[in-house]
Amino acid sequence: MRTIVQALSLLLFSLLFLFATYKLPDWFPADIYLRLDPLLGLNAIFASREIIGRSLWGLVTIGATLMIGRFFCAYVCPMGVSIDFLDLLLFKRKKQKSLTIESSLRKTKYFLLIVFIMAAITGLSLAFLMDPIALLTRFYTFFLYPLAITLINLFLDLMRPLFKGLGWVSLSHLHIFQPVFYMSAITLLIFGGMIALNLIAPRFWCRYLCPLGAMLSLISPLGIFKRKVSEECNECMKCQKNCPMGAIPEDPTKTRLRECFQCRTCVNVCPQNAITFPASLSIGGEYSKIDLSRRGFIYSVAGGLGVGFLATQTPFTPLQGKHNLIRPPGAVPETEFLRTCIRCGECMKSCLTNTLQPCLWESGFSGLWTPKMDLRLAPCDQNCNVCGKVCPTQAIRSVSLEEKNHAKVGTAILLKEKCLVWAQNKICLICDEICPYNAIVFRPVEGFRRPFVIASKCNGCGFCEQRCPVLGESAIVVVPDGEIRLKEGSYVTEAKKLQLEFKADPGDDKFILEESGFKVESGKKEEKNLQPQKPKGFLQ
Amino acid sequence: MAGATLALSGNSTFLQAKEEYDLAVTSGDPVVATKKALEALGGISRFVKKGHRVVLKPNMSFARTPEFGATTHPMVVATVAEACNQAGARQVLILDHTLHRAELCLERSGIREACKNISGAHVQAFQERKFFKEIKIPQGKVLDRVEVIQEVLECDLLINIPVAKSHSATGVSLGIKGLMGLIWDRGIFHSRVNINQALADLATVIKPQLTILDATRALTTGGPGGPGEVKKLDLVIAGADPVAVDSYGVTITPWYGRSFKGRQVEHLLIAHQQGLGKIDMDQLKIHKETT
Repeated sequence: MRTIVQALSLLLFSLLFLFATYKLPDWFPADIYLRLDPLLGLNAIFASREIIGRSLWGLVTIGATLMIGRFFCAYVCPMGVSIDFLDLLLFKRKKQKSLTIESSLRKTKYFLLIVFIMAAITGLSLAFLMDPIALLTRFYTFFLYPLAITLINLFLDLMRPLFKGLGWVSLSHLHIFQPVFYMSAITLLIFGGMIALNLIAPRFWCRYLCPLGAMLSLISPLGIFKRKVSEECNECMKCQKNCPMGAIPEDPTKTRLRECFQCRTCVNVCPQNAITFPASLSIGGEYSKIDLSRRGFIYSVAGGLGVGFLATQTPFTPLQGKHNLIRPPGAVPETEFLRTCIRCGECMKSCLTNTLQPCLWESGFSGLWTPKMDLRLAPCDQNCNVCGKVCPTQAIRSVSLEEKNHAKVGTAILLKEKCLVWAQNKICLICDEICPYNAIVFRPVEGFRRPFVIASKCNGCGFCEQRCPVLGESAIVVVPDGEIRLKEGSYVTEAKKLQLEFKADPGDDKFILEESGFKVESGKKEEKNLQPQKPKGFLQ
Repeated sequence: MAGATLALSGNSTFLQAKEEYDLAVTSGDPVVATKKALEALGGISRFVKKGHRVVLKPNMSFARTPEFGATTHPMVVATVAEACNQAGARQVLILDHTLHRAELCLERSGIREACKNISGAHVQAFQERKFFKEIKIPQGKVLDRVEVIQEVLECDLLINIPVAKSHSATGVSLGIKGLMGLIWDRGIFHSRVNINQALADLATVIKPQLTILDATRALTTGGPGGPGEVKKLDLVIAGADPVAVDSYGVTITPWYGRSFKGRQVEHLLIAHQQGLGKIDMDQLKIHKETT
């Protein structure tokens, strides 16, 4: 029964993950697991000092835990499911040892929770490091999903001759776009480490480390359903040995209520049928106190504040106003962005073009895994606004396509020393050809047509930077200058205010015949066509 | 008449056709004009034989809707595909190497939607190198080899269905320029070699048996990607000679506000000089029809 619920939960999590693509309907909450996570919500709300609508979904989980107990970890948590299933797959034959330092290790998760909350209070979003839902989403995005696509394409390549022979035209040409990410290896190492911890004890992560589990366990004794052992118990200790959470102490009739996540393994293994989970209003019991020493509490508060201090009081913080990263369109202003983003990776998964990539150290510790646009790798497509739609804390705002295309992320600048046309007089037009907004025009300069960027028409989408045929750094690069970052309000209105215009209309291309493919017979040149119609800044 | 005789000598099937035209220029809505153009050339069955594997090469390189004029009109493509199907083609593959992401191009150009009910027709975009194969260009002046979509090399018949566009490097982008959508590395055309000569080189190895130029609307400025000025011309120009079709296409409307002849377009002139087709209108037998 539990295994089925778990499998369904993991399946749902995986399906929602797959649905996070550019075709996602506006109403569909593909990020619902992340929204339901109260730790991520609390972290974002504390760090950003704002009430975030989507984060309030965490109250559902809190409410359900208050009602039922800590069922989330046993039945819903997709990380818990992954741990259980991989445990079964990888470590089944190994005998689980019990830990001698058990009870003191158990406190670790509370200390970690305190560290994360304190860090959030200093304005540092840190819970992402160990929050299970964020961790698993990152693992899916940066490792599992690209791997799955590689395998599918490998299969398609192997089957291609067969498909061709059978005349299955579409299938024989099928190739699935392969996303690639920086930091896939680090993400895999972290996830692999988490799973390997199960070698030490089952659900090691959930018992000792998980800060979300710690948060839920704080309120779990208030839940209605509690383990009860009848007098039939012959103290065979089978339940204690089999409890995946180590929630049964030396006295098997007692329960560590904060640890028990109601998986009911004990009910099934009890030879006396002495164990039930009736509704009960009592709270507590001697094994349900959290025995955090005052010293440990102070240390973890200090630790959280210390990490917050180290991560925020660095040159990176004053430089946030002059950052050198291209953030996704609709990202709130940089400081708020770093505080609100929970680094789940959902935006990068859903990104149509694969331009969104995780940061390593570009904006310091406080910017780890935040999304940036790598416009040399891929552009931002004007038909897609999915990154905001799937952002569970709205660090990237969910806005309409029209709004998103006005959320200017930067401005393209031409590096004339590298540009084939400027530096080598070659006939290249690729940036102009690909620009969706006609922000690149050719104008006569000393008899040769040269490309120029019209900054007021450029929203930084990066098609030019990606397509530039120059090797190495592009001869036309998007810099953050001119970006529009708004916490609220309309990007269209803001762009109008700034006299920007991002729309598909004819530009003021000047065409010079002798440099183009058109040949003009000598004597027929129209010199006046070479002159701009009127100088800038003058009225007719 | 001398010109017409010259044209006939190249093509034996042509001799059997009742009406012998080099070019068919028809006006009307996209479906009717396309049908009339095919009829005027002696019917699609002059080109498509039973069991043929046909490749149609429209321009669907940009994720733009048809009104931008950057892509071939979906109804022109669908009409040709349907005609091939009825002439007994075993398979009609509609393909392009798109500049924008494939699924967006197929979706927004409207071509996939227009062709979805035509049996045997498949609309595909190729963005992976594994679908291309290198061939030599024996007569190439600046290119000696090029990677071409494999399906194009294996098909029985290639029909080029370009859209009429201005182009800021080659003046116009019509049929011959459209051939660049069949190759893998387009970047070198701009960065390493003279694009106009490279296009002529390409035209010596990729030879569509039929070119149907969609000039139902023409992107007369801002090409090839647009946005730019789109003129509604309601024309379809078809013919077996790729240079002749393009050369006529140059004259149908002013480009960038000025009128030109085929000879003024460098890549067409080079292609003509390399013997790839006729460039002067007075040597062509042209059928004109308004519907």
